[in-house]
Amino acid sequence: MEAKWDALCRAINAGDPAAALAAARDALEDGESPLAVFVDCVEPCLADIGDRFGRLEVFLPELMLAADVVKGLQEELLPLLQAEDSQALGKGRVVIGTIFGDIHDIGKSIVAVLLSVNGYEVKDLGVGVPAKDLIAAAKDFDADLIAISALMMPSLPYVRDAIALVKENPDLVDRFLVIVGGGPVTREWAVDAGADGYADNAVGAVKEAALLMSEGASS
Amino acid sequence: MTDVTRLIDVVNRSLTGPVVEEQTFDLKHVAAGVQRVVAEYEIKAGKDHVVNLDADMADRVWAAAVDFLASCGVYSKDSGRVILFGREEIEQLVRHAPSQVAIGEGPDARIDMARTVEDPRPPLVMGGPIGSPVPNDLFVPVIRSYVQEPIVDVACGATVTSVAGQEIRTRSPLEILAAWEEIDLMRQARELAGRPGIATTGIMISVSDLGNLTASSSPAVLPNDMHTFGIISELKTNNDILNKLAHIQMIEGIVDPYANPIYGGLGGGVEGQAVLLAAELIALSVVFLADCLGTSPTHPLHFHDTGREIMTATSLAFQAVARNASLLTNLTITPVGGPGTKTLLYETIACAVMGTVSGQSRILGPRSATGVIPAHFSGLEARLMGEAVHAAARLDREEAVDIVQQGLSKYEHLLDTQPYGVAFPEVYDVATVEPRAEWLRMYEEVKEEAIGWGLPLDAVTTA
Repeated sequence: MEAKWDALCRAINAGDPAAALAAARDALEDGESPLAVFVDCVEPCLADIGDRFGRLEVFLPELMLAADVVKGLQEELLPLLQAEDSQALGKGRVVIGTIFGDIHDIGKSIVAVLLSVNGYEVKDLGVGVPAKDLIAAAKDFDADLIAISALMMPSLPYVRDAIALVKENPDLVDRFLVIVGGGPVTREWAVDAGADGYADNAVGAVKEAALLMSEGASS
Repeated sequence: MTDVTRLIDVVNRSLTGPVVEEQTFDLKHVAAGVQRVVAEYEIKAGKDHVVNLDADMADRVWAAAVDFLASCGVYSKDSGRVILFGREEIEQLVRHAPSQVAIGEGPDARIDMARTVEDPRPPLVMGGPIGSPVPNDLFVPVIRSYVQEPIVDVACGATVTSVAGQEIRTRSPLEILAAWEEIDLMRQARELAGRPGIATTGIMISVSDLGNLTASSSPAVLPNDMHTFGIISELKTNNDILNKLAHIQMIEGIVDPYANPIYGGLGGGVEGQAVLLAAELIALSVVFLADCLGTSPTHPLHFHDTGREIMTATSLAFQAVARNASLLTNLTITPVGGPGTKTLLYETIACAVMGTVSGQSRILGPRSATGVIPAHFSGLEARLMGEAVHAAARLDREEAVDIVQQGLSKYEHLLDTQPYGVAFPEVYDVATVEPRAEWLRMYEEVKEEAIGWGLPLDAVTTA
């Protein structure tokens, strides 16, 4: 990354929203476009933070703070972008939740934040989310991906229910992709249940989301 | 043990504590709170060895954990409020926590006693793939393979994978039926192994309160069995959990909650994880009225607790608790390796030795293959775990440092390769419930290696 972005990238890494906004405004005053702020600085900076989490060199609090900083930048700068530039920036929209009957939170939250720092717009529905609520939220959020976590075997049937609510509905089957993961979930189970994607950890979830979105874009 | 006054106090605090948004609790109360005390108490973990050798540092972790818990509290997801106890209240309640509990009955009755750092009395051995999936037709032989090991003091419940041939659905009648089936299969395994009075943990299939509450009434549950339930990471609860607690209290059962903090999560790195783990163990006593309590800290990507960083934090946290309280702590070993791999055996030895010299009162597991691959568990690894803790009780921490390092050197590089091994029928004869020759050979070879590292396994008698 070019040195001119050091201040902004440093602010993102430090989780300092005020410093990040100031650095972004300085960049605009220096003639940089809002699009360049995101493409040339924010995206590679966040990708680096995500990679470092994959190596456990940084941890969830740093990820959460960085994601919050970028949210602030988006609120300030996105209105300045041309419509086509806004579209080009978006990696995709994701609704995520731990399925009904399961209270495991942190693993799902790590996936949510890691998707955020990798450029996805993420709506985290929390834990214990009924299948129909996942689908309703995906419609409301105009999601591309529905990401479902389940760490307990007795919750797996509800994941299957959620997938069926998408795949058996002609209005939804081409609208949403479903990605699943969690302790008892295997790729074989995911395929059998009709999911589009599977990941066995947070880093894998980001890779799988990117793969699914690129396949979706090319189909 | 029953304390309705304390229970009502906890419930009332959950209904009247400060209102906080959940994300604010995560970021400001937990993450920032941990960072604050790590800095204020100058918490530093040793970089060169997993087993903590610094008593002053362990005491600082304890002080930091109490300070952190008093400011952070436990979040109630149902009320949106924080259950808070002040520092003096925490210290007083911990002082009055049980320092010993009677479990099991008859010849298999045991006393779970608080241990100190380098305590020469071995921890109790809790054998079994706790909470891990075992198909119904293998459930009894798998559990029997643990219960028949004389060195195992407590039998830990696996979870059935179906009920009446159907998938189990939590919060449905199927969950209730599955919970009763789990209890009955545990009874069968105990009786077939000739140890009907050995204490068990349960009810593991029941994530919600439903199955737990009903199956607790089964005649197959003994009065001195352990009633096990998890809290939500990090430092959260809900009414399902408090319902379980209330029920266990009213049936005068042994309250056995656990908390599994995620390494790299809200606590951050090694130092933050040590403080968070110590705080969660304290919270299990203060907020969840634990008689016995436990943990299996979790790697965020590979789900084990046998890696260098997590074991370093765990050693520090357990020593902090053992030096400053008499809580009945348990460490569940969750290796990546599964049956039929030496990786599992090396992980088990390293973690068992670390925990034993660090003052845990019970060791549990191993929850082999990270506890998620159906039927990838066998009693032989629990035999080795038990022998390892009995041998490690003869060691001081300096001696343990080298043994743990030797173990780590054998598997550290394999942790992300998922050496899940093979299922139970490939390492045990299902009919006779005896380990197969190849698995026994691996066990004997690893034992010999560990004796060579200085772990006196040859001095341990198992019968």
